[in-house]
Amino acid sequence: MKTDPDVIVIGAGGGGPVIAKELGELGIRVLVLEAGPWYGNKNWPNPNENRGEEKESSNPNDLDGALYRKQITRLENDMNDFVSGKFRWGSADRRRGPWYRNIPDPTILWQTAGIGGGTIHYYANSLRAFPHAIDNEWPINYADLIPYYEKVEKTLPVEFAPTTSKEALFYYAAEQSGFSLNKTLDVTSSGYRPQPNAILPPNEHLMDPNYSMEEISHMEGCTLSGHCGQGCPYGPTYEKMAKRSTNVSYVPLAMKTGNVTFRPNTFVTKVLTENDVKRGKRAVGIQVRDTWTGETEELRAKVVVMAAGCIETPRLWLNSELPHNPWVGRGLTNHYMDMVTGTFDEETLTEIIGSPSINPFVGHTSGARLDYPGLGMIENIGESPGISAQTLFAFSEYGYNSLGESNQEMWESRGRLVGSELEEAMKGYRRTLTLSVITDDEVQFHNRVELDPHVKDEHGAIPLVHYTPSEKSKMRREQLVKIATDMLRKAGAKEIHRSDLPPNYYIHLQSTMRMGYVVDTSCEAYQVERLYIADNSADYNSLGGPNPTLTTQALATRTAEHLANKYF
Amino acid sequence: MQATFRALTDSLVPSTRRIGYESPINITDMGVHEYLIYGLDHYIAIQEQLHHITLPLAYPTAIMLDEAATQLVNTGRAQASPQIQFPGGGMFSRLSREDRIQTLSALENLAFDLYLLPSPFQNNGGLIKHVIDALNRFAMFGYYSEWPAYGTTRLYPPDDRRLEFFPWGWQQVGYPGVSLGYRDFRGMLIEYEEVKAKEVD
Amino acid sequence: MSIDADVILIGAGAGGAVVAKELGELGVKVTVLEAGPWYGNKQWKEPNQHRGSVSSSNPSDLDVNLLRHQYNRQENTMNDVVSGRFRFGPADRRQSVWYRNIPEHGMAWQASGVGGSTQHYWANSPRAFASAVDDWPISYSELIPYYEKVEHTLPVQFAPTTSKEELFYYGAEKAGWSLIDTLNPTSPGYRPQPNAILPPNERLMDPNTSLHQLSHMEGCTLAGHCINGCPYGPSVDKVAKRSTNVSYIPLALKTGNVEIRPNTFTTKILTENHPEEGVKAIGVKFRDTWTGEVGELYGKAIVMAAGSIENPRLWLNSDLPSNEWVGRGLTNNYWDWMTGVFDEKDLMRILGNQNVNPFVGHTSAARLDYPGLGSIQPSGLSPGLTSFLTFGFSQSGYASKLKQSPDVPWDLQGRVVGNELKEWMDSYRNTLSFLILTDDQPNKRDGVTVDPFVKDEHGAAPVIQYTPSKQDTKKRNELAKITADILRKAGAKKIIRTDWPANLFAHILTTMRMGFVVDTNCEAYQVKRLFIADSSVEPNSGGGVNPTLTAQALATRTAEKLAKKYFS
Repeated sequence: MKTDPDVIVIGAGGGGPVIAKELGELGIRVLVLEAGPWYGNKNWPNPNENRGEEKESSNPNDLDGALYRKQITRLENDMNDFVSGKFRWGSADRRRGPWYRNIPDPTILWQTAGIGGGTIHYYANSLRAFPHAIDNEWPINYADLIPYYEKVEKTLPVEFAPTTSKEALFYYAAEQSGFSLNKTLDVTSSGYRPQPNAILPPNEHLMDPNYSMEEISHMEGCTLSGHCGQGCPYGPTYEKMAKRSTNVSYVPLAMKTGNVTFRPNTFVTKVLTENDVKRGKRAVGIQVRDTWTGETEELRAKVVVMAAGCIETPRLWLNSELPHNPWVGRGLTNHYMDMVTGTFDEETLTEIIGSPSINPFVGHTSGARLDYPGLGMIENIGESPGISAQTLFAFSEYGYNSLGESNQEMWESRGRLVGSELEEAMKGYRRTLTLSVITDDEVQFHNRVELDPHVKDEHGAIPLVHYTPSEKSKMRREQLVKIATDMLRKAGAKEIHRSDLPPNYYIHLQSTMRMGYVVDTSCEAYQVERLYIADNSADYNSLGGPNPTLTTQALATRTAEHLANKYF
Repeated sequence: MQATFRALTDSLVPSTRRIGYESPINITDMGVHEYLIYGLDHYIAIQEQLHHITLPLAYPTAIMLDEAATQLVNTGRAQASPQIQFPGGGMFSRLSREDRIQTLSALENLAFDLYLLPSPFQNNGGLIKHVIDALNRFAMFGYYSEWPAYGTTRLYPPDDRRLEFFPWGWQQVGYPGVSLGYRDFRGMLIEYEEVKAKEVD
Repeated sequence: MSIDADVILIGAGAGGAVVAKELGELGVKVTVLEAGPWYGNKQWKEPNQHRGSVSSSNPSDLDVNLLRHQYNRQENTMNDVVSGRFRFGPADRRQSVWYRNIPEHGMAWQASGVGGSTQHYWANSPRAFASAVDDWPISYSELIPYYEKVEHTLPVQFAPTTSKEELFYYGAEKAGWSLIDTLNPTSPGYRPQPNAILPPNERLMDPNTSLHQLSHMEGCTLAGHCINGCPYGPSVDKVAKRSTNVSYIPLALKTGNVEIRPNTFTTKILTENHPEEGVKAIGVKFRDTWTGEVGELYGKAIVMAAGSIENPRLWLNSDLPSNEWVGRGLTNNYWDWMTGVFDEKDLMRILGNQNVNPFVGHTSAARLDYPGLGSIQPSGLSPGLTSFLTFGFSQSGYASKLKQSPDVPWDLQGRVVGNELKEWMDSYRNTLSFLILTDDQPNKRDGVTVDPFVKDEHGAAPVIQYTPSKQDTKKRNELAKITADILRKAGAKKIIRTDWPANLFAHILTTMRMGFVVDTNCEAYQVKRLFIADSSVEPNSGGGVNPTLTAQALATRTAEKLAKKYFS
């Protein structure tokens, strides 16, 4: 951009591109800064190898589906290695280490830097919050959100997931456990349903053997290829890729407005403010650092929007020495997840789904769900082998199964499996159904993102993250685990394994800059005018359990409207 | 250090030797110990004045494992055997598989004299827990993902690695690998239009 | 927000233990965080070797045999400032002490651990001079009931006479001073030291009872070495020297409302901005000294009793509101030390035996009070401490190189080394030493700040600055002359004035003064629900007397005020 933009958006993840597109459509000029690389943009043909000649991109013609397909290899290690994967939380240059977070506990923190942010590897689960978690809790009502949900659902778009073997088995299990199909978007009672996913419906020719898979993968619609978590480059063009990560949905739409510029490889290190005599502190710009060259720069705008996520947004607030607010970084929720995996035998499977294996790697990575307002939810997950082994059998607060009490009543195994135990468990991989337990965890003041008092990186004091669940959250998780176990057992699982995940499992991060505490109902900071937040951190709570992305996108849509009305 | 990490992966992931797997790169654990070393050595990048430092964690981690193993042996909680399997390895590599797991478990529970651990682990319980957990995860992800199949390029900078054969971990569990798609469409249980129409009523 | 305890109390030393007991008796739930170890508690059988339990709240955990084993009374094991059990550092003595930046030659003689510095104090428990309290925002008469309560609880008694006291009384009489038979001296005179030490057992002089037996019975055995810890008594709560770990702590535990957590260093006070109350304390952040793990605890009120160095450091490291008097006005009684050597002949005549044996009896059992100047007290230490405190620690350089002016009534001033040191130490058993306590006045330039460059694991390190005023120096010289005169009149053949450096911090007070930082209830002016309960709140140095009893009387009063304001 040659002149100062009207609005600077920090972060091009789940929320940033949404607000950028909405503002762009209103004629407001927006610059979006993203710390990570841009995959599928001609300006960066080798985004991990060199800086490229351009700094930014605002022309939709720069987007290139073929390039994207080449870069997104869908290999689980290449894409999702926490240290050196393309979807890691770190700079574009993968020879360097990732950006360090101090989380002094067993931890998986699954964040992505890059245009699209965490939506590049998300499962695209796009459901609305449970109404009961919003009404009489949040400072706004569920009804206020509905039009924005609808707008996002239409734009992405969102559709219920198709059924493959693992979903068929999931529905059977839910029915056997006494649950029934809940045909709704606004969940008020427990029941199962297909996941509302931001994934295009399967192409009508998918089952037609006259079309090769290669052909279908270049057509519009999901190919049920699985590995959603490793990125989805299937579709006729960049903006028609089947999985609707924001980089292929909202980013192209934002660019088409002609008012939005995106700049990757740019880490925002500070929010700049001025003290207005009458109106107090207000945001006037930001300071950035180029992740390739280390050069720093100040950029100015009329309004600044933080959409850097639940860790970086409070870190940025604190490193910018914005006014003290005890709730900045506080109240972190993460849905206190767990995993229960059932292994079935071939006869049982043949009887239920008509084939001897489930093949968890087929279809949407998570295509079915059971909602349970008051407790949270359960969804199926079919990850690739490396990620499955690591989350199901390596990551546990229970410790090693072999060292645990032998007298397990509910599960055949629990905790970490190593050596031959692991080998046995993984041999059944194709016959497993994994249920992910996602808890409606309570907001606790002590769960937090703060600055490490001792350690800095090139962007300032690093974030230190702490999370321990409340007693109530623990109880809820136990109940959900029981339900999940029961579902698997009733469906005929022969071996059931409970991972017993440690609390520091960060896939859904929410509520570190809560509405009503840090930001007002239009998501503008109470203490800093012209500073907005448009990511999961503004959530008042963990939504009752649902995956947070759609709500963030709905809120971002709403925030764009408020912001434009107030300042433009 | 190499020997200690070999002893570690030997206790965590299935033994390829035992199940008769002949790796094209001829390493008993498919080189997963090297994956751990690479991961640990690139894990923490921090800034100290002018220096941007990537803190090498692998070496202190190996020392930590050996120190913990020594403490277990000295207190009779584990038994050391003469070194045969992992030449050049420290105390950790002289323990049985079970005792190596016991060592990890005890470390994770901080049931140790943390003062005797090397920096940055000394009296740093949070980092110990974090890294011990990571050892488990890295080992399994290294083993079951495509990483070993990068073969001779596996320790190259990430962008220079090339798949040299079909990942054996995938083969073992029956994962077909990267797919273009699967013809397993069993229909739509419900559709958006249907639900929305219902809601309008 | 959920609360971990009604009150979180930082520091289990002289003041904290008192507040814990008083609040506990009023039914207020208290969690006490202490940075150092806990000796004599079964939850920590090897408190310097292993982390042990997290906390203890049960009086039956206390074990006098364990205490005796741990308090081995060896002067180096106990009082080495680098690695002694009574150092100011973590329980693990292989770890370094906690660093304090004291410019020039200086030394801070503090002890961490349950009981704090009262573990090695001499139990001298005089009241402040009324004339000094007249400058306080509260009156002396208002303090008296609290003095009485503490004197009754500890309890405090006048010290018994042994040889060194007899020699002192003899010299004082000869020098023209008379006995003042009071707890509230208003004019100069000598008296036995009011000490928090149980009176000698009635069978002490009975040769049929062995000293071994006596040491397991109630009452002081006149064993000396009070400073190296006193484990003598039938049970922990009946140990002769009334350090708070054997007096107030057992009483606090007996209330059933107090939990004490050693090995827990508080690194931050957490606050929030309350619409009505303004900035208020809501909790603390702490670090486990064994594992380095960090945690937070929340309470309805927070009490800082971490001492005159750590309180201001904690305030500053917590970024609490700026107050120009935080850390300022430090006084330390500008100590000095003077020793006389006696002839055996003279001693035989005065005492009926040929040695003073300074190691016998209460370490300091008599005193001369001089309102307006301060006080002096005959004191007898073990040889290692005697040699280094008398001959090794001086701001005058090496005595042999100094030319004494003829009108100075002592023979030597400064350090003594080599053969000369040996000569002096050969006479160790025939020495009488005096500690001189000056009525030094608070001065804003003196105090505790945080080091801009040096951090330890708990944050910016404290820097301690103290320079006595001309007036203070004059007072100290006056007291030195009085001391020399008493020694000379008692027949001392040779007198040395050590001339301690001003930066000797054992009495450390007045850094968070009432009327400047805290109000008369000892609640911080700028942070509601934050109280201070140790010698840092004393507005001045009490006229030059030992500060502990006054700190404890004030703590008793503060507990009452706190409970009334927030828990009635």
